[in-house]
Amino acid sequence: MILYDFDYERPGTLQEAMSLLRNSGVDARLLAGGTDLLPNMRVQNLKPALLISLGAIAPMPPQAGEDGSIRIDALSRLADLENSDFIRREIPLLAESAHAVGGNQIRQSATLGGNLCQETRCLHLNQEHDYQFAAPCYKRGGDCCYPYPGNKPGSCWSVYMSDTAPALIALGAEVEILGEEGTRSVPAERLFSGNALTPLLIARSEMIRSLIVPAAPAGFGWGYHKSTLRGGLEFAMANMAVTLRLEDDGETCAAARIVVGAVSEGPLRASSAERKLVGKALTAELLSEAADDASDEINPLPHHGFTRNYLRENIRVYLRRTLTAALERASGGII
Amino acid sequence: MNHLHSQAAEDAAGQAHNGSKRRSRCIALNINGELHEITVQPRKMLIEVIRETVGLTGTKGSCLSGTCGACTVLLSGRPVLSCITLAVECEGKEIRTVEDLAQGGKLNALQEAFLDQGAVQCGFCTPGMLMSATALLERHEKPSLAQIKKGLEGNLCRCTGYNAIVDAVLQVSDQGVLPVMK
Ligand SMILES: Cc1cc2nc3c(=O)[nH]c(=O)nc-3n(C[C@H](O)[C@H](O)[C@H](O)COP(=O)(O)OP(=O)(O)OC[C@H]3O[C@@H](n4cnc5c(N)ncnc54)[C@H](O)[C@@H]3O)c2cc1C
Ligand code: SF4
Repeated sequence: MILYDFDYERPGTLQEAMSLLRNSGVDARLLAGGTDLLPNMRVQNLKPALLISLGAIAPMPPQAGEDGSIRIDALSRLADLENSDFIRREIPLLAESAHAVGGNQIRQSATLGGNLCQETRCLHLNQEHDYQFAAPCYKRGGDCCYPYPGNKPGSCWSVYMSDTAPALIALGAEVEILGEEGTRSVPAERLFSGNALTPLLIARSEMIRSLIVPAAPAGFGWGYHKSTLRGGLEFAMANMAVTLRLEDDGETCAAARIVVGAVSEGPLRASSAERKLVGKALTAELLSEAADDASDEINPLPHHGFTRNYLRENIRVYLRRTLTAALERASGGII
Repeated sequence: MNHLHSQAAEDAAGQAHNGSKRRSRCIALNINGELHEITVQPRKMLIEVIRETVGLTGTKGSCLSGTCGACTVLLSGRPVLSCITLAVECEGKEIRTVEDLAQGGKLNALQEAFLDQGAVQCGFCTPGMLMSATALLERHEKPSLAQIKKGLEGNLCRCTGYNAIVDAVLQVSDQGVLPVMK
């Protein structure tokens, strides 16, 4: 049970949901799968006065556009994406990243939009606070930080742990957002502010409507990895998504995206490592150097007991393997 | 046959303060094929309604934060966590709990397989395990070892070490595992 009363609406259409969101005059939140929002309300990290359920609005099935891009409804359940033959065939990187989230029951309820809009996390924050007798930390409106008391005042190091966001950024996906002035569209990597106190650049009166993933070009390859302790029902230590595109010669890199998540206030692109690859013939050595560079460039925040040095090494090793898998796929080695 | 189970009197007492009366909603929940009309505040989780209002205590609550799987029920065929699902979200859906598995007082084949393999020790995770396994077997007649492990990944067990549970699913799907208990 949630320890305070709130109002609940269950609109039948998106228009109604948007008008409730805009006009309710109270702190209102959209309720999609609820798997992030409700646990946060239970520990009173969030106390919205009104929940606007999206449960009565059925998501549209993924649709291919004329330019080969694929539109995915933000209300799609992660389990439906990972189990969809269409998504597995056309956007396997997205299927893989959806499959990495939580456990099966979580993925059956959780939506893609909710996954992107999840709250940041830290070992202190995601606890029951009601019997801790602890003053609230910065993230909860207070004036201290428990795990990192030596930090600059006001700075919060909670991390953004979405497993799908790095994949969507690596794919170059666009996010379609419904707001007061109609629809706007931004690249997935521009959703993030880099400030853990307000991690998302989406207004509370806005809603993610869909994700548009461009068609995979010729010579395209991808890799994905989520580092965990147990391998299931667990948030990431670090997650990483890579996409590569090879020139017609089958070895020169035409484009590269390297994205690392769960170690910062939002997913990070390793831009200088990406630049190192573009225009070069991709060899095992070069990929290994790029992984080294990326792990230096990323500068992970320590989180959930993992030190910065450990995370750096984790990223270095798994990024090398992820890049290798992407190259093998791009050159037709593995499917 | 639909039984109507009214609970208005019970709730009236709880609604006297905090304006929660205004917020309470009357909903009809289909649980194991029976329709229950209940008045419920939006803040109530499905597990509370199942256990406390309807009185089906087979479903267990443990972590209450979605991390252990003990409270798994099937919601229109999907295994979901009743501890992080609002009851008001479940109207119009078919809810199945562990009580729905045995028929006419007789355990079903999956439950028997759990007994045959010694897949139950303290028993607290068992209802959730059974519901996750039921959903898995409804999708895959003969799930592979990898599919079983992935299908049960959201259910934690602190006693059995999992192997017996995996074996029970292999046994009931006729994949060459024989009962170890007689
Ligand atoms: C035990 C457990 C394990 C988990 N493991 C993982 C994990 O490994 N990886 C991971 O990434 N996450 C994990 N999560 C977090 C969460 O389950 C997922 O992020 C999930 O995808 C959230 O989706 P949802 O639909 O349930 O979101 P909700 O909880 O419904 O919503 C989350 C937030 O997004 C907002 N929102 C929802 N939909 C939209 C939309 N379309 N537009 C704008 N705002 C929206 C809501 O208002 C809310 O603020 C875990 C959660 C639990 C309880
Ligand atoms: S890191 Fe952020 S969320 Fe965690 S205790 Fe410090 S201020 Fe709070």
